[in-house]
Amino acid sequence: MNAEHDFDPDHLKFQRALPIPNGKLAVWLFLSTEIMFFAALIGSYIVLRFGAPSGTWPSPHSVHLEEWLGALNTTVLICSSITVVFALEAARMDRSATAKKWMILTLVLGSTFLGVKAFEYMGKFEHGIYPSPTRSLMYDRSDSYYLSDVGERVKFDLKQLADSPDSDGTTEKVAQLELIQSGLINWTREKAGTTLDPMMKQAAIDSLAHQIHPGFGDSEKVKQYLQNEKIDLTEQKKLLETQIESDTQSLTELQTKIGNLQTQAKAEDASEEVKTQLKSDEQAAKDLTMQLTQNNKALRTINDRMNAVRQFYEVEGGHEQLNGFQLPFVLPGGNTWANTYFLLTGFHALHVLFGLFAFVVLIVRPLGKANAGVIENVALYWHFVDIVWIFLFPILYLF
Amino acid sequence: MAENSQHEHKTHTPTFIAVFVLLCGLTGASYWIANSNMMVESIGTARGLLIAVSAAKAFLVIMFFMHLWWEKSWKYILTLPALVLAAVLVMLLIPDIGMRTETYSSDRQLRAPAPQTNSANVKDAH
Repeated sequence: MNAEHDFDPDHLKFQRALPIPNGKLAVWLFLSTEIMFFAALIGSYIVLRFGAPSGTWPSPHSVHLEEWLGALNTTVLICSSITVVFALEAARMDRSATAKKWMILTLVLGSTFLGVKAFEYMGKFEHGIYPSPTRSLMYDRSDSYYLSDVGERVKFDLKQLADSPDSDGTTEKVAQLELIQSGLINWTREKAGTTLDPMMKQAAIDSLAHQIHPGFGDSEKVKQYLQNEKIDLTEQKKLLETQIESDTQSLTELQTKIGNLQTQAKAEDASEEVKTQLKSDEQAAKDLTMQLTQNNKALRTINDRMNAVRQFYEVEGGHEQLNGFQLPFVLPGGNTWANTYFLLTGFHALHVLFGLFAFVVLIVRPLGKANAGVIENVALYWHFVDIVWIFLFPILYLF
Repeated sequence: MAENSQHEHKTHTPTFIAVFVLLCGLTGASYWIANSNMMVESIGTARGLLIAVSAAKAFLVIMFFMHLWWEKSWKYILTLPALVLAAVLVMLLIPDIGMRTETYSSDRQLRAPAPQTNSANVKDAH
């Protein structure tokens, strides 16, 4: 009740909750939420990055991040921060034309930042690094999906060559691709598909991945695997060759025998015994031919495998022949990296874009003392965008 | 807004230029650290230094470009709670995401990314 009596409209004083203009308060409140937003994003990145098992996070170089481009963009943003500061200073001194010049320079610098970012994104896309796993060509590990996709890629290249048979060196290219298909892809598919031992299955695919990307996996293990395989294959090859030789000999003998029996069977007084013998020998010859075909095929597969390993693995720099086929590359943790990279830099770039929009809106106005408050608010936002990049630069490009 | 126009503005241009030079110098410093032997010999120290340099840069931008150095104590009301909450947010992620592989079953471990021994070769290979 007393309060009602004390109420004196003539002596009413306006008192702010905080000693700053409402607009500035709103911007600072917004920036407080932005601190939490980017802390969550950067924090997630750091936690994912350092929570990944050792060796399963790509180094900046393996994902084609150029340090100097990151440093350049950092400098560009720092320059744009000082130009917006100067724009505000000029506006506060009521020098509208100067403020406008600084503001235009800020807009140009901000656009340069986005241009460099776009150039970097293009580079990532060219290397098959996308934020979405369905389009991504990165394989975390050498598994059946990886094997299947490498196979599809080789098949695609073969089909493309078949469609344009006239170009130079097509025959050699086709022969090489066929060797890759038979000696590497189909062989690995067969090995991984038939073995019941999961370790052997993995070892087969690992050896293929390692042959394509010498940096992938345990090179000693792969070397051991391929050496053991070579010993087995040499043994099998020897056995098969002996078998084929003896089978060929038996077949020749059998065919001579069949020839004789056929002559005998043609005679009028041919006994039933000869006819039965001829029938059984013909069947035996048929079986033997089939066995020979099978053994020859097996021998060819083994030869292809041995040739492929020799040509693409044992020969110094042999794996380079596999580079040209644009086979997908293996990058442990690559997809998680791509997701976090595009999310962090994408949200940051979006903030830059909003900042540029605000600059455009400001530039068309008179930038004198009356508008200094608005410029200050936009500048605060712009500095915050700069701060976010100050942290993104080392954690993405330098760590 | 109104307040700014009421008072005669005191310029801080020399401070801003000094801060700008420092920021460029610190960017150069982080680039230098990242390319120094420290990244090989003691990566932990190098990373710590890189973050410290970034924190110093952020401090300079916040204090001088964003004028917090000259602002009254309202600055603490708006920024400190946000910083505490941001830190809590990050800490909340550690048990679930940061330590995720510690509780992987052997089956899950099989589907985890396989370590890469030599990343330089992968770069060359592509």
